[in-house]
Amino acid sequence: MKKYRLNKYLYPALIITLFFLCSCAHYQKNLPQTDIHQNEPYTFDAFNQPRDADETFVILTFSGGGTRAAAFSYGVLEEMKNTQLPGLNKTILDEADIISTVSGGSFTGAYYALFGPRIFTDFKEKFLYRNIQKELALSLMNPANWLRLSSPYFSRIDLAAELYDTTIFEAGTFKSLADRKKRPFLIINATSLYQGSRFEFTGEQFNYIGSDILSYPIARAVAASSAFPFLLSPISLINYPYPDEYKMTDADKMALKDYWNNKSRYYNAFNNTMYADKKGHSYLHLMDGGLADNIGLRAVNDLYLRGGIRKKINSGEIKRLLVIVVNAKNEPQETLDKNESPPGLSTVALKTATVSMDNYSFETVESIKKLFADRIEAQMNLDGCQQKLDEHCKDGYKLPALAGGKMKLYVVDISFDNLPDNDEKNFLKHLPTTFHLEKNEVERLISAGRLLFKGHPEFKAFMDEFK
Amino acid sequence: MEYLLVKFREARGVIIDGISEGMTNEVLELETGTHSVTLEAPPDFTPELHEFLLRKTSVISPKVISFEKV
Repeated sequence: MKKYRLNKYLYPALIITLFFLCSCAHYQKNLPQTDIHQNEPYTFDAFNQPRDADETFVILTFSGGGTRAAAFSYGVLEEMKNTQLPGLNKTILDEADIISTVSGGSFTGAYYALFGPRIFTDFKEKFLYRNIQKELALSLMNPANWLRLSSPYFSRIDLAAELYDTTIFEAGTFKSLADRKKRPFLIINATSLYQGSRFEFTGEQFNYIGSDILSYPIARAVAASSAFPFLLSPISLINYPYPDEYKMTDADKMALKDYWNNKSRYYNAFNNTMYADKKGHSYLHLMDGGLADNIGLRAVNDLYLRGGIRKKINSGEIKRLLVIVVNAKNEPQETLDKNESPPGLSTVALKTATVSMDNYSFETVESIKKLFADRIEAQMNLDGCQQKLDEHCKDGYKLPALAGGKMKLYVVDISFDNLPDNDEKNFLKHLPTTFHLEKNEVERLISAGRLLFKGHPEFKAFMDEFK
Repeated sequence: MEYLLVKFREARGVIIDGISEGMTNEVLELETGTHSVTLEAPPDFTPELHEFLLRKTSVISPKVISFEKV
């Protein structure tokens, strides 16, 4: 009788206690910064190399697109590894200085930045061939996780981040990347839900939120970058008070005066410095990087205009600048336009949330091409004027030289549209955005990446430079 | 892009918006907008800082600012 009474109260009490404990589950918090220099090891400047090493400066951007994007960018990396630079004892991959990634492309970029050439031995098994989608679904069906998910501070994206952390990135953090002291410098891009602006996982960006980047897991950054709307929930970060010595940078002070002169510069500074309002923005919620820029090129654009690349150009360190844009944009087969009746609410909601993802990718590529064309034009104008002066003026006047001299600039934009074989093009363009593709689909994507990279006319022109 | 020439009687590192970037007496390429410019140490120049709006320049007609040695 006594035993019965004990069971009667004990089991419900145990269940309630368990439920209470599990519903206290909390996402892994980012930690506060204790001094203003704490994030320096994970800034572009800290990844500096000997001065002459930057003569050839190579930047890669990997787009979103789930496993399709991850495999396509892997193919490009593989071809780069196999491409020897004429006259030099290194490959084009050895020259990679920056990788800027979004969503599916973040898996490949982060894996290479963290583990280097090991990617060519185990990444296919560890990610590309896996059915991540099914594993995430199984994790959601696990009753232990139901209790954790009942907490308002733990959601589907945290389960995904745990899966990536244990099975792909081996608990690697940004300190692991900084400790490698080896380029490429990785920029993982997500989107801030509040502003709809790009949020990058770098020391500079974490300074604005008073947080330590070194202790932050790469898996959570990748999860934020690939938190596809509706399917996954946002990753949250805490916006901490600044360390005592913190002050706004001169560059931001100047940029905030530029509302009427240069809105791009103004809003870049505005979006970052708004986190100084710690009460109004105590937390940040991050989603798929593709919502702000689905090809990862805006990070490069910013570095070229006003960041580390601009500094290197004005300091004469770069002679050749090569930007490789790997864009796995697809054209999903949809029947929307075949029906007279409008699509339902869920279809409209998903479309509304994702339709912007590739809208401006083309323009972003054109914008960087225009910047490069302007630079080449400036070099030619200066040369042309000097020639005229030499011909017509006898006093030997020399125009001041342009910092950085006669740079060579190349944009290699790789997408399925470049494929010569229409059947293959259509096949790849119709692959869905998912974290599960068949093995043969993955292999065809890898082959396409390799083929398109080595056959690109701008890449051929770049290689001719070395002959 | 805009173009800036920082004149000084010797070659000296230039600090633009708080960041060391390029040298005096060569044309620097910068973004349109408000910039602050000073020189690297030693502090033997005047003025201490130029702050100005950089726009409507070209590579053959850059904005010119000067520092004098003291």
